[in-house]
Amino acid sequence: MNYKERLAELRKTKIRHTLEKRGQQGYMNADDYGTVPLPEGYKFTPVPNSPNGGFYGYTGMAENYCRMLDGHPIYVDPLEMLCGRWRDMMVNYRRATRWDEARFPFDELKPAHELYNITHGIDNDSHFACDYRIGFELGFGGLLDKVRRYAEINTDKKEFYNAEEAVLLAIMRFIGRHIDEIERLLESEERPEIRASLEAMLECNRNVIAKPPKTFLEACQWTAWFNCVSRIYTRDGAGFQLDGLLYPYYKADIESGRLDRDTARFIMSNLLLIDPHYYQLSGVDENDKDLTNELSYLILDAAHDLNIAANLTVRVHENCDPEFLRKAVTCLFRDRNGWPRFCGDDSLANGYMKNGFDKATARQRIAVGCNWMAIPGREFPMNDTVKINVAKVFEVAMSEMKGMGARSTELLFQLFRVHLEKAIAATAQGIHLHIKHQADVTPELVMNLMMNNCIEKGEDISRCAEIYTIGIDGAGLAVAADSFAALEQRVEREGILDWDTVYSALESDYAGTEGERTRAILSSAERYCGGNTAGDRWAVRITEYFTEAISTHPLTWDGSMRLIPGWFSWSRTIEYGKVVGATPNGRHSGAPISHGANPNPGFRPDGAATDMSTGIAAVQPGRGNTAPLQLEFDPKISEEEGGIDRVLDLITTHFRLGGTLININVLDGEKLKAAHANPDLYPDLVVRVTGFTAYFATLSPEFRQLVVDRFVKGF
Amino acid sequence: MGEVTALIADIQHCSLHDGPGIRTTVFVKGCPLNCVWCHNPECISPRPEVMYHADKCIGCGHCAEGCFSGARVTCGREMTLDEVMEELRRDKPYYGGSGGLTLSGGEPAIYPEFSAALLDRCAAEGIGRALETSLYAAPEVLMPLLRRCDIVMCDLKHSDPELHKKYTGAGNALILENLRLLDSLGIPIILRTPVIAGLNDDDENITAAAVIAASLKNLKYYELLPYHPLGVSKAAALGREQTIFEAPSPERFRELAEIVKSRSVPLRIAGRGTDI
Ligand code: SF4
Ligand code: SF4
Repeated sequence: MNYKERLAELRKTKIRHTLEKRGQQGYMNADDYGTVPLPEGYKFTPVPNSPNGGFYGYTGMAENYCRMLDGHPIYVDPLEMLCGRWRDMMVNYRRATRWDEARFPFDELKPAHELYNITHGIDNDSHFACDYRIGFELGFGGLLDKVRRYAEINTDKKEFYNAEEAVLLAIMRFIGRHIDEIERLLESEERPEIRASLEAMLECNRNVIAKPPKTFLEACQWTAWFNCVSRIYTRDGAGFQLDGLLYPYYKADIESGRLDRDTARFIMSNLLLIDPHYYQLSGVDENDKDLTNELSYLILDAAHDLNIAANLTVRVHENCDPEFLRKAVTCLFRDRNGWPRFCGDDSLANGYMKNGFDKATARQRIAVGCNWMAIPGREFPMNDTVKINVAKVFEVAMSEMKGMGARSTELLFQLFRVHLEKAIAATAQGIHLHIKHQADVTPELVMNLMMNNCIEKGEDISRCAEIYTIGIDGAGLAVAADSFAALEQRVEREGILDWDTVYSALESDYAGTEGERTRAILSSAERYCGGNTAGDRWAVRITEYFTEAISTHPLTWDGSMRLIPGWFSWSRTIEYGKVVGATPNGRHSGAPISHGANPNPGFRPDGAATDMSTGIAAVQPGRGNTAPLQLEFDPKISEEEGGIDRVLDLITTHFRLGGTLININVLDGEKLKAAHANPDLYPDLVVRVTGFTAYFATLSPEFRQLVVDRFVKGF
Repeated sequence: MGEVTALIADIQHCSLHDGPGIRTTVFVKGCPLNCVWCHNPECISPRPEVMYHADKCIGCGHCAEGCFSGARVTCGREMTLDEVMEELRRDKPYYGGSGGLTLSGGEPAIYPEFSAALLDRCAAEGIGRALETSLYAAPEVLMPLLRRCDIVMCDLKHSDPELHKKYTGAGNALILENLRLLDSLGIPIILRTPVIAGLNDDDENITAAAVIAASLKNLKYYELLPYHPLGVSKAAALGREQTIFEAPSPERFRELAEIVKSRSVPLRIAGRGTDI
């Protein structure tokens, strides 16, 4: 079998796995993570170390992790060249008891968290990024030596070092069991080319079980192992600058003749198959030099060969290799899997520098998450785990104004500000609690291994990160902005409606024909992303306030920590919408809120992506975190006919105007509708849901509807 | 003297099918022809018209105070140059090297003064200019507009003068004359035929069209556009009836493509190469 045939088989297996997993787990509404289905009869029973039945802290986490790894099923596919697939994860056994509330209660924060529908991030994990160079340099054996060495120095940190040591030993046992399995497979494997690659896999794993990786294959295998064991621990999905860190291995192997390009490409496809970690490609160093190299191209080719979900982000900057950028856009059209995504260096780096960092530091902050950036090894950002539903904040302000005398959008905005401030304060307190006690609850025993300071100091990353720039995202911007705009236009400017009519329509959820007419009047007002409309102006005003309030919010417990604003709902638009009553933008009670920084569906009759791009570029908080532009295109224009150029114009212009992140789905509208009606016929249809890509067939009907609704017809 | 204005039916931002690159298409309202298959029937009358979309009516009974549901909408707004320019400027950052304004309709030549001034303003601001025209206008009115463009898109609806008259309300002599004049300007031309089964999809007509296309020095490509019943519901909203036609089958398109290609004419079908 040649590589192409092997990949075709692996793709088939992947599709089968997707359907099997849906059978096992139901609708997933999340990243696929590259997992394989669990074998029949597999069972894991955690050992609690708390009266509430949960397990916590260095010892509790280490003990259960080791038990999980020791019992975790082994998966080696002889058609692959790498191993390291995973299926179970610790979070599955901690859902009800993730945070130890008995010891670290936050009852006093709960009313505010509930009132403003805050996703507080207390108990969340893994939203930072490892410095893979540390692991590449030391290997698991070297990491173990390092842990033991520092254990002797920091004798008061015994529990920490014991836990880290146990984790490393468990990882090595886990790899060891795979080595046994490879040996077993070799006993019966007769196909010569598969034997050869199994032998290579065997040798590679015998090396990387303890030693640092030396070749391209070993570096990829090492990466696969770390990703796998880190996923099992806390589902960590942050990758690294893939074309940068692997390049020296690739170059050396190619130059010495140890590796040919086709094999390198297959290995890369294999790595991407194993796990859709978030990797950045291309980019720019602190001296503005473009970092694109031969491997950047090869990675896109490898992803194309594989043609499944992937989370690759291309960093776009002024000196970007235009050929590479064109190739990246071409992938969107050819494979239609929603990758790569694009992030805008200019706005991200300059924005981050506003927090008081130099350019070199800002440039290290790469795309490693769904919507987020982090500095590998150095930063603890909790990015994407903390969110405030501003549609809910708006609703609170709106109902407070009801009984007041001189009602106006100005007064409403003042009330909105007050409540937003309260929401931010309650959020910040939650963040404080989390940082203070993460180590006691969910220490990051795996990721700590590749974070600066942790092993050296004997501390969990939450306690010793070099940089704390903690992200708070707002969700529902368009709902709030369109609501303000509709009130301003229809009540104040035109006088078509009065406040009482609006309030009673909201209370009745626009019931009856009169309610429906009120709704029509409000929802046809000037919307956000309509192009220089009242909605656009309100969105900017809300953003300005949101940005200022978050980035200047005093963190009383530590002056060196900073909060960073962004606009992102993740995939929670349905969930967030359920708790918000009818809003003055014509939205019904309980309907989903707007997605990320996107406008509400139907924002313009022509659905102009240009106005959307301009509108979103204008609402960037601009402190280094994102407010993504999410586009769904129907490729009515083909590649040959200039489709690529048009998308390139759109991408580069959005970034020039200040945009930070672009997620693009190139979808066939008809196919999307057919798949919505009958998902099982399209098990390989991949869509970019938000920052992550997912198999359409694994999404719930509600969720699929959302993707269908978002579809921009024009493009 | 009052400000120059035109009655505008619609301005479409981020348009991708009306010429190269990302464009903004300005549809003027008013057309001297009356094609039986017209896909923009709301652009034929040079006066504002009310369109009524029954499916959007919520039955509130407040028509006199204004309709907000999108059921009853007035098509046609008198716009000044400044107002149109402002819309264009919003899309301008996205035009890149190839995009820009597409002035369309209806027939832009029915507003010669406005159209010329708009094209000049775009030229002054570095905005690309495309014209979509029926070519049915007096040469002295049309030529000054054509001259101001980077690219012109025009139709060859039927090569037979009688049938042209039957289906569009006018013969094709003036159009063919204008086409020759246009070709003398050295501006790239995209020539198109909306192909309707039974009306103009016969070998003879397409052969004649291909011969004309082949004779053009500045032809960028010739495009066959399969009929789409886009205009039917819009005509209904205007209280008019439009016959529903059919597009030729893919097999027929393949045959027509062969006819065109045999004359060495660069061809596209519905914007996409010639694969069907
Ligand atoms: S020339 Fe165009 S706008 Fe005028 S009637 Fe014919 S199809 Fe309609
Ligand atoms: S105002 Fe509009 S929605 Fe209401 S009855 Fe009239 S046409 Fe129908």
